[in-house]
Amino acid sequence: MNNLAYKHETFRDDYTYRNSPDAIRRFPFPFAEDHYMYSVNIEQHQPGAKGSIVEHAFDIDEHYVSECEDKLITLGQDKGRYAALPHMMDAQWDFLELSMESLSRDYPHLFTLTKDGERWTWRNGPLGIEDSFVFGDAATLPLEPFEYMGRQVQGDFVLLDQREGTLFADAGFITSQADWSLAFDVGMSWHEWHGPVPQVEKMGIMDRALKFLMSLQQGNPVRRLNWTMTINPRLDTSPEHFPEWGPDKLKVTAQNAGEKAHLRVELQTMFRLPRSNAILFSIRCYLISLEELATYPRWAKRFHRVLRDLHPDLLEYKGIKVYHEAVLAWLSQHDDGAELALGAHPE
Amino acid sequence: MQHGYWIRSKPIYHSLAWQYKAQAHVLLASGEGGRSVLRLYQQRLPDQPVTVLYLPAENEDYSAPLVTVVGTSLQVFPDARELWQRFDQVLQQSRMGTRLYAAGTESFLWQATTLAVKHGVLNADVMREQPASLARPVYCVHCKTTTHGVTTNIAVCAGCQRHLFVRDHFSRRLGAYMGLMIDAEDPGNVPDAEEVYP
Ligand code: HEM
Repeated sequence: MNNLAYKHETFRDDYTYRNSPDAIRRFPFPFAEDHYMYSVNIEQHQPGAKGSIVEHAFDIDEHYVSECEDKLITLGQDKGRYAALPHMMDAQWDFLELSMESLSRDYPHLFTLTKDGERWTWRNGPLGIEDSFVFGDAATLPLEPFEYMGRQVQGDFVLLDQREGTLFADAGFITSQADWSLAFDVGMSWHEWHGPVPQVEKMGIMDRALKFLMSLQQGNPVRRLNWTMTINPRLDTSPEHFPEWGPDKLKVTAQNAGEKAHLRVELQTMFRLPRSNAILFSIRCYLISLEELATYPRWAKRFHRVLRDLHPDLLEYKGIKVYHEAVLAWLSQHDDGAELALGAHPE
Repeated sequence: MQHGYWIRSKPIYHSLAWQYKAQAHVLLASGEGGRSVLRLYQQRLPDQPVTVLYLPAENEDYSAPLVTVVGTSLQVFPDARELWQRFDQVLQQSRMGTRLYAAGTESFLWQATTLAVKHGVLNADVMREQPASLARPVYCVHCKTTTHGVTTNIAVCAGCQRHLFVRDHFSRRLGAYMGLMIDAEDPGNVPDAEEVYP
């Protein structure tokens, strides 16, 4: 995306968020087959096709400005969405460096970074930010380095410390989570924070994924897709604010599901960081209504089949159970049962 | 239990047993944990020095039998603040190879562990026993208040009065289980609470 026309839209209250035809086309539809189950779906995070969501290290799209505004609203309501344990300062600077260098390299018309020795100047065009600071000296920035850049990149971020044979989630900037709490999870180890996920234990998935990540190399980032569903295009589906969005789940009907029910896909990328040896885990959230999804008939057909046959534990865990029937009824109108070739492509 | 699957963040506890390969032993107990210390003293005593720090609780005061059984290694504290101060000092002075044992409520066990970890002790090197009551400290994810001594699957938050479902998901840093508003989707629809953590 080169010349972004930023949309002014909301992810709460009147929910004016919509996807342009371009955004729909590049949506990371996660189902290559009619059936879905958890797996160790990790691949190299190499630059992908031009215009795709994996063209760059971090994807900046038409929702950038509105999403950054939504982050600030959420942080204003709940300071606990940002947390960093004291030993994570090196990792914070690693994150600042990686995000500034990536954005200014990949979107030079939007972001610029100039370095004069340790004195860096950062310009963020779309958000109208310009700051000069001394790299490594937190007192020269208006916020801690992780929070400073966490506010300026779409998505959520966790910094993981590697020790005692596992990874610890020792810092996070989390405002668009699919129902998990940073304030509760911060400081937990890999198997603790993944504790609530069903089925994976007996399949050995978490042990294998951890082993893989522990040997992640600098310069070789990896990625995976995860998905769930959200009612209304809401980024802040946190347990903290469950009382605000919970009631919407009971308002889905076969008639309004196309508009209300959204497929929520997370592009998760993992980078080994140079100074701290920490891992950056970024969670970039993409939302698409069923109506928008049905722009491409094979996506609607496929999603119908995946949801119809999804394991009951996953339906429960992802919180879909209460509106499952309504969503299936809507999707079934778009599924003629025709066989679909392998692949997640739109057409 | 939730949906019949085990949440791996839920800690598992064991009965205290002396770790004989050690330089020293530090025992930390509160309330009913005093009984765990007494039970430990029925095992063959180790040769190395032992320190026992005990905080009695209301209706759970084992100081008298502890004085008899443990003798001069015992220190009893009138309030929690003094106990934690003393424990902090003990940790500062302790050498490599000091074994740590904790017995008491779950919040107590994890407060002790967190302090020990700050002094460079590995989480796994603290032995923990949860005597008697299964009562849970419950952290309200909405208002961030921890309600202590919860024995039911649904509990009223001491901070915001919401009805919380008590999950098995446990944070060692907070020393508490997660509580999530049970009627968030359908306000007012609160099932009867059942005593499952007596
Ligand atoms: C290292 C960075 C990672 C972090 C910080 C992280 C964090 C999380 C968190 C907080 C949850 C929600 C748990 C809850 O319900 O409370 C979750 C879910 C999950 N994670 Fe991870 N994760 C990471 C990497 C991975 C990897 C590499 C895999 C690969 C298999 C994975 C697989 C899953 C799965 C399958 C779920 C359930 C998702 C769903 O059904 O919506 N995670 N993760």
